[in-house]
Amino acid sequence: MKTRTLIGSVVVVALATLSLQGCAIVNGSGDDPNTLRVMMGADTTYPDQRKQWQRDTAAEFKRTTGADIQWETYSSGQEELTAIQTSVISGQGPDVYAIGTTFTPTAYATGAFVRMGEEQWDAIGGKDQFDPASFGISGPSASKQIGIPFASRPFVMAVNTDLLAQAGITEMPTTWDQLTADAKATTTGDRHGMAIAYADGFDPWKFIWGMSENAGNTIVDGSRAELDADAVQRAYRTYFDWVTKDGVVDEAAIGWNNAQALAQFTDGKAAFFPMTTTTAINSFTGTEVDGKYAFALLPTVPPGATSRPAGGIEAASILSGDNFVVADYGTKQDLSFEFIKQLSTKKAQLEYYDLFGNLPTNVDAAAQLAAENPQLKPIIDAGRLSKPTAFTGAWSDIQLALVDVVVQSIPSLKRGEVTDDQLRRRLQDAQRDAQATLDRQKNGGL
Amino acid sequence: MTTTQTKPSTRRPDGHQPVRPHGTTPLYKRERPLWMLLPGGLLMLAIIVVPLLVGFFIAMLDLDQYTLRQWFSAPFVGFANFTEAVTNSPLLHSIWISVSLAVLVTAVTVPIGVAAAISTQNRFRGRGLVRSVYLIPYVLPAFVVGTFFRTMLQPQGVVNSVLHTDVLWLNGSASYWALAGVMVWTSWPFVYLLSLAGLQAVDLEVHEAASLDGATWWIKLRDVVFPYLRGPLSLAVIIAILHNINNFTLPFVLFGIPLPSSVEVMPVLTYIASFQSFRFGLSAAMAICSLVIVAIPLFVYLRAVQLDTGDDAGPNRKQRRADRAVLAAPAAADVEGARA
Repeated sequence: MKTRTLIGSVVVVALATLSLQGCAIVNGSGDDPNTLRVMMGADTTYPDQRKQWQRDTAAEFKRTTGADIQWETYSSGQEELTAIQTSVISGQGPDVYAIGTTFTPTAYATGAFVRMGEEQWDAIGGKDQFDPASFGISGPSASKQIGIPFASRPFVMAVNTDLLAQAGITEMPTTWDQLTADAKATTTGDRHGMAIAYADGFDPWKFIWGMSENAGNTIVDGSRAELDADAVQRAYRTYFDWVTKDGVVDEAAIGWNNAQALAQFTDGKAAFFPMTTTTAINSFTGTEVDGKYAFALLPTVPPGATSRPAGGIEAASILSGDNFVVADYGTKQDLSFEFIKQLSTKKAQLEYYDLFGNLPTNVDAAAQLAAENPQLKPIIDAGRLSKPTAFTGAWSDIQLALVDVVVQSIPSLKRGEVTDDQLRRRLQDAQRDAQATLDRQKNGGL
Repeated sequence: MTTTQTKPSTRRPDGHQPVRPHGTTPLYKRERPLWMLLPGGLLMLAIIVVPLLVGFFIAMLDLDQYTLRQWFSAPFVGFANFTEAVTNSPLLHSIWISVSLAVLVTAVTVPIGVAAAISTQNRFRGRGLVRSVYLIPYVLPAFVVGTFFRTMLQPQGVVNSVLHTDVLWLNGSASYWALAGVMVWTSWPFVYLLSLAGLQAVDLEVHEAASLDGATWWIKLRDVVFPYLRGPLSLAVIIAILHNINNFTLPFVLFGIPLPSSVEVMPVLTYIASFQSFRFGLSAAMAICSLVIVAIPLFVYLRAVQLDTGDDAGPNRKQRRADRAVLAAPAAADVEGARA
């Protein structure tokens, strides 16, 4: 009997403990008014620096507000979305999210984040502390913004100055055709003109988007998709010809992601590495290109042209970086704004650049950085010439459709040719998918 | 989803059917304490039926990023999502890809798993080590396996180097075979484990009896060992097929998103509909359609192998086969002897 009682007691205690533990997991710090939950992307490139930065930021936050920070991380866009979905449905979760700029329209569409008004901007130290260009993808209009610019990562080209000098190239190409010509001039033996990542999940659509914008095609015009337009087809043709016809890209690149293209560049085997950003600077250190590289703006004149046509857009890069958004279901919005205020200051933004290579969105910090680092001028210029992707909740699907054209064309690239017919068919498919997504939009896509 | 129904055995310990007067209610139908099923029933209701009903409800909503927040009041669209899933999405193509991969992989892994189990059945020095090594593909996390193979299957990766080929494994039609190969590599130890469990159930006496009767190794294998493996292998085939159909991690890690069309498998397609296109209603409809389409052949298979017939079928049949094997062994041995 005693044994039975003992076992029964143990079971009851265990169940009670598990239940309490379960409650603790469900509630997390959500009910603790003195702990702010912040969700950011994991940093696999600088994990130690990230941890130290989080410790320092939390200590400073504790000192100024008396509150703690509970950091949560996501390692992929999908994980980021899952966390947001769960929070949106359940009405509980992180108080502040740092999200990618291209994800901001989707976050806006959920309606789960605080729309910034005068009071909210004041709470984070004022709207005018930020570079005006960085608001391009904070919301559908100036009065409907949810994204608070936190970090800027405009895309540029990295160039191997030695290889360019050997080929007698003294000026950076400003047109896509000139880039192709320069790449041809620098292709010799096992060295190629360009390092391109055809199998990357993101790079391809950025090339196509850039070339199309330069031609005046914004991919989405209101509620109409324009993926089957001539400008888009010409962009894909240029992008594919680099490896199939021009021979300026290593054939192996059809299976590469961005990191593999970066490796080719750092091995000194490629003259141009388009579609990179400041976060790659540390990757260049101690490699073949250390001290032999420079940054340059991506071309802004569309393929087949020597000057930008009427209506063409001087888009040097997508508006890329991170925005903070504050959950409107949370009860700690004041603390959330305090946190963002702390990280928006000139000092905090410069520290963040030093650690992770993300450019500041604070206008004073950006000015100081430009003055002290002349080599960053092209990147800062690219930030100024960045243009936002279409602000629609359908963008994610459209982006996927753009990449899918490349993914499904890879076997043809391998065979050495993507025919016009194949390309047209795939663009028609992509157009159909993109238009269907746009047609399903509600609230005008926002 | 499968259910296994068992009824109390009416067999006597000696294996003979009990003598029961005609016209009386069988023992297993009388005085059944059905209330004891209540906890299990409630659990099934909570973890299977309720989520299924919620999924079905979601499948009838136009639930996306715009309506996610008030998902309960999202526009009701009836069966529109189901219609779209079947007629205007790559669902059927993806089901074909998933099912064909699952059947192919299972067909390849079963003989490998059985052979591996048989190879470690008899004691030998280092058997424990070999058994442990066999389990490595099974215990490695799928995303680790996917990452390894993704590296090895690069155009200039180790696979092409070893084979002296120039195949594009991670895109185009070859990606189907690449995925099948990696799935085989990861899933054969499961068949091996179940086969091993089945082999453990073979009584030593049966082996001895067959040997005394002069049965050759092949006859013992075919008529003594395999009948014992029938149950575990049938189970292995079902679970392996289900597991392979639902394999998400390997294709996701190997190929990324968007997938090449030749490996556009069902779980990833559903995932894309949910987490890339934010069409939660459509993805729920896709999942339910897939469940129905996959469940039909599985049900037929379950009936065919009679895994759900409880005590009555398996052991009897197994016993009958084993008895027949023992009886047949001397004759077979005679034949073999005559040939020699």
